[in-house]
This record gives sequence, C-alpha cells and structure tokens, in this order.
Amino acid sequence: MNTAGIVMRLAWRNLWRNYRRTIIMLMAISIGAWAMIFMIAMLRGMVGDMIRDGINALPGVVQVHHPDYRDDPSVENLITMPSGEIESVFKEAQIQYFSPRVRVPAIVTSERASRGVTLVGVDPAKESLIQAVGSNIGEGRNLESVDDSGVVIGHRLANKLETSVGKRIVLMSQDRNNEVVDRGYRVIGLFTAKLPAQEEMFVFSGRTVVQKMLGIGDAVSEVAVSGPDYKLVEPLVQEVRQIFNGSEEVLSWQELDEYLSAMMGIIDGFVFVWIVVIFLALSFGLVNTLVMAIFERVREIGLMLALGMRPASILSQIIVESVFLLLIGLAIGNVLAYVTMLMLPAGIDISDLADGMELMGASDVLHPTINVKDIIIVNTFVLFLGVLASLSPAWKASRYEPVEAITKV
Amino acid sequence: MTAIRCINVCKTYHQGRDEIKALDHVDLAIDEGAFVCVSAPSGGGKTTLLNAIGGLDMPDSGEVWIGDTRIDQLNKGELAELRLRHIGFVFQAYNLIPVLTARENVEFVMEVRGVPSVERQKKSREILQEVGLEDLEGRRPAEMSGGQQQRVAVARAIVTDPSLVLADEPTANLDSKTSEGLMDLFAKLNKDHGTTFVISTHDRRVMAHARRLVKMLDGCIVEDIRQKGT
Amino acid sequence: MGITFRLAWRNLWRHPRRTWLTISAMIFSNAVLVFMMSLQLGTYELMIGNTLQFLTGHMQVQAPGFKDDMKMRQVVNDIDALAETLRDQLKLEDITPRSSGFALLSSDSRSYGAQILGVDPEYERRVSIIPSLVKQGRFLDTREAPEIVIGEVLARNLKADLGDEVTLLGSGRDGSFAAAVATVVGIFHSGITDLDRGIAEVPIGFFDDVFYMQGAGHSVVLITPGFWMIEPYKVRVEELIEDDVVVHDWDALQPGLKQAIQADLSGAMIIYTVLVILVAFSVMNTQLMSVLERTHEFGVVMSLGVKPARLGWLVILETTLMGLGGLCLGAAAGGLITLWFSYNGFSFPGMDQMAAQFNLPQRFFPQVTLLSLCLGPTIVFIGSLLSSGYPALRLFWLRPVEAMRTV
Repeated sequence: MNTAGIVMRLAWRNLWRNYRRTIIMLMAISIGAWAMIFMIAMLRGMVGDMIRDGINALPGVVQVHHPDYRDDPSVENLITMPSGEIESVFKEAQIQYFSPRVRVPAIVTSERASRGVTLVGVDPAKESLIQAVGSNIGEGRNLESVDDSGVVIGHRLANKLETSVGKRIVLMSQDRNNEVVDRGYRVIGLFTAKLPAQEEMFVFSGRTVVQKMLGIGDAVSEVAVSGPDYKLVEPLVQEVRQIFNGSEEVLSWQELDEYLSAMMGIIDGFVFVWIVVIFLALSFGLVNTLVMAIFERVREIGLMLALGMRPASILSQIIVESVFLLLIGLAIGNVLAYVTMLMLPAGIDISDLADGMELMGASDVLHPTINVKDIIIVNTFVLFLGVLASLSPAWKASRYEPVEAITKV
Repeated sequence: MTAIRCINVCKTYHQGRDEIKALDHVDLAIDEGAFVCVSAPSGGGKTTLLNAIGGLDMPDSGEVWIGDTRIDQLNKGELAELRLRHIGFVFQAYNLIPVLTARENVEFVMEVRGVPSVERQKKSREILQEVGLEDLEGRRPAEMSGGQQQRVAVARAIVTDPSLVLADEPTANLDSKTSEGLMDLFAKLNKDHGTTFVISTHDRRVMAHARRLVKMLDGCIVEDIRQKGT
Repeated sequence: MGITFRLAWRNLWRHPRRTWLTISAMIFSNAVLVFMMSLQLGTYELMIGNTLQFLTGHMQVQAPGFKDDMKMRQVVNDIDALAETLRDQLKLEDITPRSSGFALLSSDSRSYGAQILGVDPEYERRVSIIPSLVKQGRFLDTREAPEIVIGEVLARNLKADLGDEVTLLGSGRDGSFAAAVATVVGIFHSGITDLDRGIAEVPIGFFDDVFYMQGAGHSVVLITPGFWMIEPYKVRVEELIEDDVVVHDWDALQPGLKQAIQADLSGAMIIYTVLVILVAFSVMNTQLMSVLERTHEFGVVMSLGVKPARLGWLVILETTLMGLGGLCLGAAAGGLITLWFSYNGFSFPGMDQMAAQFNLPQRFFPQVTLLSLCLGPTIVFIGSLLSSGYPALRLFWLRPVEAMRTV
C-alpha cells in the first residue's frame, strides 16, 4: 500500500495549521541547534588553537628523543644526528618536514639581569618550513643558517633582560662533563609569540654553534617530524619508528603533552554532553507540541482510522510531522550558526582574558572551527533523538479506537 | 442476496457506574441494494449498530456478516482493509480532514488504497460533478457550508464503489432544505450505483425516503417496516 | 485572589500531561543549572585557594613594576622592617618578606636554571604551604645558613639528594656576578610541575649575601584572615606603606586565574542562557496553546464583562504556579544530585591532567550553596514569566463575539 504521498502531504499541512506554535517550536529548535554548533565550534577552535600553538611552540607532531631525555632533558641524553643517509630516508618516506634540534636548559645573562631559559639550536632552513615560534620576527632578522652565531629571543625576554637587537648576552649551560660553559651571543632578532610564556622561554641560535659551545659534536636533543595534519599522527609515528628503529623514543604530541590530549578527550566528551543536555531541554517542548497537536486532532485521526487508514500510517504521519519540524529547525539553526561564523571571520578577540586563556594554554584570539563531522553528528543526533521522543505520542495516536476518537468532543 | 446479517448481537457500555445496553440481542438482515433507515431516539443504539456493521466496534457477543465475511472475528488490520475496500462512511460531523481540499478528501481513500493519481483525478471529478460540487473542488472544509461538507463526505463514501454505505445521522447538523437535497442524493446514488445504504436518523423527513425503516429502542429492534416505493 | 487562583489551578490540570511536560522542562533545566553552578563556583574557589596557597598569598607589597618585569633591582628597601611594621600595625602575623632571583643551579653532574626565593623560615610557614610539602629532609630553619630546599623534579633533574651541595650562579642586584654553594636540606613535592621543577628556596639572609641585596627584598606577602577581608586589609596596607612601593592583590598578581574563571564563566553563561531560552519557549508554547484553546471560553467571560487584564493575570498566574512547581522541584532535584556528588565526588576521564593545570584535586566535591541553589531556578522562573507575556497580551486583542464563534 503506497500511502507515502498522502502521509507526507498531511504531515506538512498539519505542521502549518497552528503556525504560531510551529514557529515557536522552530525558534526553540533552531536556537538549540545554533547553540550546539556554535559552542562546539568555539570549543574546537579553542582546542585547535591550543594544539597548534602547543605543537608550534617547538613544532613537530612527532618527536624523537633519547629515552631518558624527557625525564632528564640534559646534555647527557642526546641522540646521534640523522646523517645524510637518514635524510634521504626521510625524503623517501615522503615526510614533509623534519628538524634536528639541540635543546638544553640555560641561563641567559645580560648586563642587567639573569633568566632561566631553554636554549634551542636549530637549522633555520628546516625550521622555517613550518610556522614555528621564533619564525615570527618582529624586529631584526631571523637566523640564516645552522652556523649563525647570533640569537633570536622573545620581545618579553628582551624587555626583562633590558637588552635589544645588536646587544650581547651571555648564555650559560653545562657540557657533557658537567663543566659550566658559557658563550657570548649577539641578539640579532626579536620574535613575537601568541603565548607570552613562549616569548620568555625560548632562545634560538644556530645548531652547530650551540653544539660547539656544548662540545657535543654532532649529537642533538631531539628530531621533530611533521606531517600534513596534526590529527593523522599514528601512521607518521610508525614511519618514524621504522626510520630510527633503534633505542630512540618516538612519541606523538598526544603522548608528549598529556594536558593537550586530555583536553581533546574532555572536549569530545563535553560535545556529547552538551548535545544531550540541549536536546533534552528541547525535547520537552517537542513532545509537548506533538501531544497538543494530536490532542487537537483526535477526531480526524479517528476519522482516518474509520476510513481504513492503517495505524502504521497514522504513526508515520506524526513522525513525519516531527521530522519536518526538526529538519526545518535544524536547517535554520545550521544557517544561523554559519552566518554567525561568517560574521566573525578574523576570530573573536578575547585579549581582555588573555592571561586566563594562557593559563588554559589557549591564545587570545578564538577561531571558531566548524567541523563537518560535528555538524553531521549534531544534526543526525537531534533528528534521531527527536524521532525517538516523538515515538510515544505518535504510538498513542495510532492506538486510538476510531469510534471513541471520532465521538470525542 | 444478503448484504448484511446480524445474529444475536449484544453490546454493553459502561458510563460511570451505569451499564447501558446499546445492543440487546439484535437480529437483522439487509439485502443488497437496499435503502434502509435505522431510527431511534438518542441513546437508542443506532450508532452502535452502524459501528458494529462497519467494523468500527466489536460486539460483545453474536455474529456480524458482511456478504460472506464474518467480521466480528477479524483483527484490526483486516477490519481496516474491509472498511477501505467495501464500506463507505458518512458521519454526523467532522467528516472531512481539515487540511485537505474537497477533491483531496474525496481521493483520500483511493490514495490510501494506492490508486494511481490519473485514475483518482478522473473518478473524483466525476463524483464531485455527480454530487454537484465540481466548482468547489479546491476548497478546504472550513471554506464550505455544512451541506457542501456532507456532500463531499458522500462523494468520498461512494467514490470507491463500495458495496455498502453507512451514514450515521448525516443530516443532524443541516437545515431541512439541505437535508432534503442530501437524501435525494442518497436515493439517486442508491438507484444509479446499486449500493446498499444504511442510514441512521431520528429525523422523520429522512425516514420518509427509506424503503425500509428499522425502529430501535433501548438496544432492541421494536419495529421493522418495509415501505413501498419512494 | 480566591476565584482567580482556583481557576488558574484547575486550568493547569485540564491537561495534566502538558502541564507536567512543561514543568519537567523546568525541572530538568533547573537541575542542570544547580549542579553546574555548584560545581563551577566550588571549582573557582578551589582554583583560587589552591593557587594562592603556594606562593602568591592574598596580596603582596612590591616595588612598582616588579610584578611584570621581576627585575632584580626593583626592590623593597629594608624589607624586614617593613614586614615587622605591617605585622605590628595590622595585628597580623601571616606576613613574610621574600626575595627572588634567577640562577643556574649546578650539582655534580647537572645544571638547571631555577627561580631562587629568599625566604624567612619562621614566617614563610604561615604564608605558604611549600614548607609543609617538604617530603624528604626538612624545611629551612635559620635565616643565614647556606642551605637550600628544592622541588622534586628539580632534584631529580639535578640528580641531587639530601646533603648534596649545589652551586648557584646568577647575577646580583647590581648586575654583578653572584655565586655560592648551598647544601640541599629538603625536597618538596607540590604536585604542580612548574613549581617542582623551577623553584628553590634559600634563607633570606643567605640570599641577601649572595645577591648583594643589602637588606632589600622583593615582596612582602600577606595572608588575611579570610578571603572576603582582602579588600579592607589592602586599604590599610596602602595607608601604611611609603610611596615607593605598591600593594597588589591576588588577582593582579595572578591575572590569569581571574581571567580563566571569567573565560570559563562566559562560556558557561552561553550554556545557561540557551537553557533558559529553551525553557521559556516551552512555557510560551504551552501558554499560547492554553490561551488559543480557550478562545471560546474567554470570549464568553469577556462578553459577561470580565476585563482582558484580568484574564491576562489569570494566564500569568497559571505560569507562576507552573514556574513555582518547576522552581521547587528543580532546585530540589539539582540539590539532591549535587549533594550526592558532594559526598561521592565527581570526576570525568581526562580530569587529572586538567586538574593539574589548574591546581585542582582529581575529584571535585561540589558544594550546595544558597547561591548555586537559587540563582539558576530563579532566572528560569523569571524567563518563564516573561515568556508568558506574549500569550497573555494576545488577550487584549480578543473580540468577544469573534472569540465565541471559534470552536
């Protein structure tokens, strides 16, 4: 029996019978959908920024270290520099970007003050392939080669040391024999970073210069590896493990930064809870609307049953009506969310709360991120739960006894 | 050939603490092509009888036959199917689905039965012409008068060529002139299509149209008059 | 009152299912609001308390600019005298002087940079919990001895143990080279990685010698008897100090903390607003339905001479009754849920890492407070009343004759 056409037509026309009620319900659904999508986009944006900034702090979604380095990040726990051969292996594995670095704790001293910092010896040619901290030079110039003997420091650090481009600073660290070594460097550039703490923490110089100062030959502290997408990291870890297949520890950023990956998990959980809470708040109104709609139409439903329409068709008529309501509401909500995003193209400036966001590890500009997956989840979820919530009133309507229904005043 | 046969049918309702015997051992046989009026005062059991015949309501005991089918033992789905294919209904009020136009209301049963749209249109136009409403096919029930609404309901009842049309007080909400017109229409359709009509009423003018008059009181048939000619 | 109230009450129960559904929407939202607010407010208090107890205290007296730049020469002169004066004048013992600088710490095999704090062992205990967090060895006990207490991670990184000597290398107040040797007497464990890795404490007198402080220090840290007394104490302190120093309260010293709370709060505000709006729509829908289906009835009573305003009040009264039901039941439900969690604790996967970032314990025990219990439900109640304004106002456009004609 082909009743789809008439069921759809009845559902659609019934929807607009009490247009005020339908509009109120549509507003509720679209605000709910908007809130879901918008909040999720904000959260995703925040966490995405956190992760990008976190990874960019010293980029490399996968990092290779000496097994003891993470616990004891000293000059003793080094790995041998990937030689020319390994370089070609990286190319063969089509790994877009890798960079060996020396990274040791150090004290920086100017004429005026001392600070504890992390001295990073880099290969500018390799680092610049990715948007890294230190690549955003606000004043002076960047490092030019592995044996560039200048240093690039953050604006804030320069402030605190009361130094500036062209002045000399002294960096102190220890060599492999635990002798304190120091070396004078000229400040050649000042970088800006999204997170102020990074501006105070890192001091960059040419890798071979740092290696010479520390007397560690060719050895490096870490090799950072990046792929095209920070989310697709497992295959990259596997590839890098195969390249090194030695005693080195190869870890992804999730393993390196537990706070960030925990945040990812929390956000996923929160997205789910958020959808459910909003939906439940909505569902009372939805069920109420359907109950009312059915209550008003008891006699018609009785008539249709009396004329020989099957209960299943009555059930589907109510469900289809609810689906129409949900679909329109969702569509409006999606468009609203999209428009909201368009109105905030450059991101939301929350620099008033910058220090607080920094505590969370996020930057002061939020870039709401609409994720196709989230959109699909929100819409299917609301639709699915909405149909589920409509089942009970719809089932009740289809169980009416035609005689009682039709004679009901 | 017998179209309807009721054998010893009983039905009791509970209203609050009272028990109402709506049908009290009713026996009735109606021939094919008959034009029967069931008359009774309010609460006399005529609606219950029609509902039992139409498979809308189950008797407590007894047998109801439509043609060769005993319907008091069918399940809900089979009853729906029976109503859909063999019986046309005209109710006292709220006969039409408010969100559908006159023609869509007429087509409703055909559409549920899955009749192709071309055939539906052809038939519904013919019938609307027959009941004199060809100009109003696009109107919704709220835009029509009570008499027009009932005519649409009649058109819907007969459009599928049912063997039986049950009309429960079809004129209750109509003025006398419109009632006359509706009864004339019933009589004409009965003659032209050979459809069996069972009409419940307590309106004397309606009864005057019937060839057979079944009078009920307190759930029992008290009189069964066969009138000659019409 | 009498008849209107009775009418309102009976009207509500004409459609018990609808009324209950609407009240359920309120109960649900109220319960969510109560629970979330209890959790949030409790969390904020913990975040503040836990963060301040390590080093920050409630307020600090510093040289202007030190808060941001932390330069060695931005000093408070005669810091001991200032601390003593404040103790006397405020009749408050929880006041301690502190000096701070950066140095490279070297053990036999390792060197790491750290922040070195010069502390007064006697008073530091009253202001900071670090002395009580010393898990191995002991805290400092004199003002002069060349002794040092370091964080657990720093100790591990330095491969330094109790009794080992570490060398401090840095620059003094005048920019000159500063160096000294100190014996590790204690290792503390705070659970906060930044502190455990980057903080070392030495006696303030010893610090003075090494960094040529000449009696100066960097900050005087105060803890007031209660969180709510910070403001009055700050005013007193401002009166007592000279012009060359300033006093900062905790939210100036830890701007991140307050802003993290604000950021979290503004996110939560969106959630709360959306919940309230959704409930309001639900109520508006219900009341609109109930007005529409009574059009005929309202037409009749209006033709009898009842004023639309009176009927409007009836609708508002019905909403109020529903709202009160939602308010009480919702607050009760939310309160009970919160109460259960306040005994059993609340946690979610991934919370350990987040908790560590914000100096929080690994399980939350939300507390039911009058504020968290009443705030959300009251807003929902007000939102519901406002939303019934539209259906109530519609009555003023109602014409009795037309109204009676509708079925």
